[in-house]
Amino acid sequence: MHLRAAFLLLAWSSLSSAAAGQGLPSEPLTFGGGRVVIGGDAAASMAPADTGFFNYGDYEHSTLRQVRIGFSGSVRANDRLSVLGELRVDNFQSVTPFALYARVRPFPRRRLDIQIGRIPPTFGSFTRHAYGNDNPLIGYPLAYQYLTSLRADSVPANADELLFMRGRGWLSNFSVGNLAPDRGLPLVTAFSWDTGVQVTTGWRALDVTAAVTNGSLSSPRVRDDNGGKQVVGRVTLQPVVGLILGASAARGQFARQSLVDALPASSDRRFIQRAFGADLEYSRDHWMVRADTVLSEWRIPAIAAPIIDRPLQAGAISAEGRYAFWPGMYAAARVERLTFNRIAGSTQTAEWDAPVTRVEIGGGYYLQRNVVARVSVQVNRRPGGRVHNLTLPAVQLLYWF
Amino acid sequence: MRPPALALVVAIGAVGALAAGAMPRTVVGAAAPAGSLRGRVDIRRNVPATERRPGVTDLSTAATPDVPDRRRAVVYLETAPGGAFEEREGQRARMDQRNETFLPHVLAITAGTVVDFPNNDSTYHNVFSLSKAKRFDLGRYARGRSKSIRFDRPGIVRVFCDIHSHMSAFILVFNHRYFATTDREGRYRIDRIPPGTYTVLAWHDGAPRDSRSVTIPETGGVELDFVVQ
Repeated sequence: MHLRAAFLLLAWSSLSSAAAGQGLPSEPLTFGGGRVVIGGDAAASMAPADTGFFNYGDYEHSTLRQVRIGFSGSVRANDRLSVLGELRVDNFQSVTPFALYARVRPFPRRRLDIQIGRIPPTFGSFTRHAYGNDNPLIGYPLAYQYLTSLRADSVPANADELLFMRGRGWLSNFSVGNLAPDRGLPLVTAFSWDTGVQVTTGWRALDVTAAVTNGSLSSPRVRDDNGGKQVVGRVTLQPVVGLILGASAARGQFARQSLVDALPASSDRRFIQRAFGADLEYSRDHWMVRADTVLSEWRIPAIAAPIIDRPLQAGAISAEGRYAFWPGMYAAARVERLTFNRIAGSTQTAEWDAPVTRVEIGGGYYLQRNVVARVSVQVNRRPGGRVHNLTLPAVQLLYWF
Repeated sequence: MRPPALALVVAIGAVGALAAGAMPRTVVGAAAPAGSLRGRVDIRRNVPATERRPGVTDLSTAATPDVPDRRRAVVYLETAPGGAFEEREGQRARMDQRNETFLPHVLAITAGTVVDFPNNDSTYHNVFSLSKAKRFDLGRYARGRSKSIRFDRPGIVRVFCDIHSHMSAFILVFNHRYFATTDREGRYRIDRIPPGTYTVLAWHDGAPRDSRSVTIPETGGVELDFVVQ
């Protein structure tokens, strides 16, 4: 009910302001002569029930059925120091301090920035595009949202347990660690940020970022509870205006300490996630295309037969395009595929999670510069889980200032 | 005859006239061959600079854009003399994109004018407008390139960049030539006005803020100041 009411409220205010020839505020709030700046965005998305849990970021919330309100702010102390943060409210349920960090530029004229705190993601590009207007569609790419059956607080004792959970990442459970069913891990999460230190520098068309954080790509944390830091880096090159090439790599421990403590003493206690990513963006005139690939590998201990004798791998590839065919109107599409490597169980050899293919086609119409109405149709295919095929239409209203 | 697209502007301006400061007075000894109108627009309202949205997702400090001059106003006759609408001239104007700022922030033109939008930055810009008077999208183009749009209908056109949300500007399109944009000191001058009584409006930062009635004599000029609060 909250979702529908919020959607209708946002629609009513947008349409009435447009009809009256007025506009909802489009500029951020500023105080203290521009030293304090506050922006915000609100997005209300509606879609039929996602019975296959293809779009869930956790057990309760689908990215196609949510109201998200965010307030971001920056406080600039001087040329060298700023503090930035963001609060988010999802479905009117809880207020989350999504980001809070200090940005230090020791030498104001040099391209060297140090960010400390709950920092923006270093890996990939979508996690920084996830903000309303930068995402041309309503759904999130599989690599940054889809829940595999792996968990940070629970681990399968053998390959059969893992194969049994194929396509059930929205609510998986294993026999070692936390026995309660809970959501699995995405390859890279777009729903929370990690905590640590990040350094970015650049020279001409090249930018390099490196960070050390408490969590991992799939399981970011505020506090380090397993003693294993993640090291992550990213390089971007802009050889010509409009073309951005990016490459990312990360390595970190993803399991919670409670899981490590629950393991037999003889087990290997290292739960390492390694990931590599490459992305491309090219835009010109009324076109923009992006491509993104993520390869992730999780190492989990072998506990019982039939043992999981190799690292668990997942690969995601996506390509999306947007074309503005009329002032204020655009069409967009994304095609993507998520695959997993094969492991041997007692009775079968199969991918350790069910591969997913997704196509999303949609478009947007700007009611005013900062109010966008979007529609999309998303087609999902997955040979596993309770629901194998699901087509989901969705609508979204987005406002930002 | 009144340009229909400016009707709302006029209505709002009439309200603003209640806060008027000065009265029109004839300038003695003015040597203008036709009537002229000149004066100053005193901007007393707070005009905060447009700031970039908080770059929470950025990995580094973004470049500091130039601060647009948001204290410029446009003074114009609400009702132009008869025959003024036939005086359309095919003109050309320019709105630069430089250091993530539109220059000028306010551009006043006559209908039929072609405006060039050159990109002088090392990044892409994407000029667009969703205004009723002119809806357009120039797409993304790089440094050294320029695209143009002809503005045929009178009205107010808000111009934005699709990539840089802090970039915005105004283009005021008139059906006559009796308008002027204030200079850095707030001064304006409109020449060659046929004698008669007119309503004059001072527009600033998105809306008409002040409105006056003025009589232009057969010879000489009139000085008319505005206060925008």
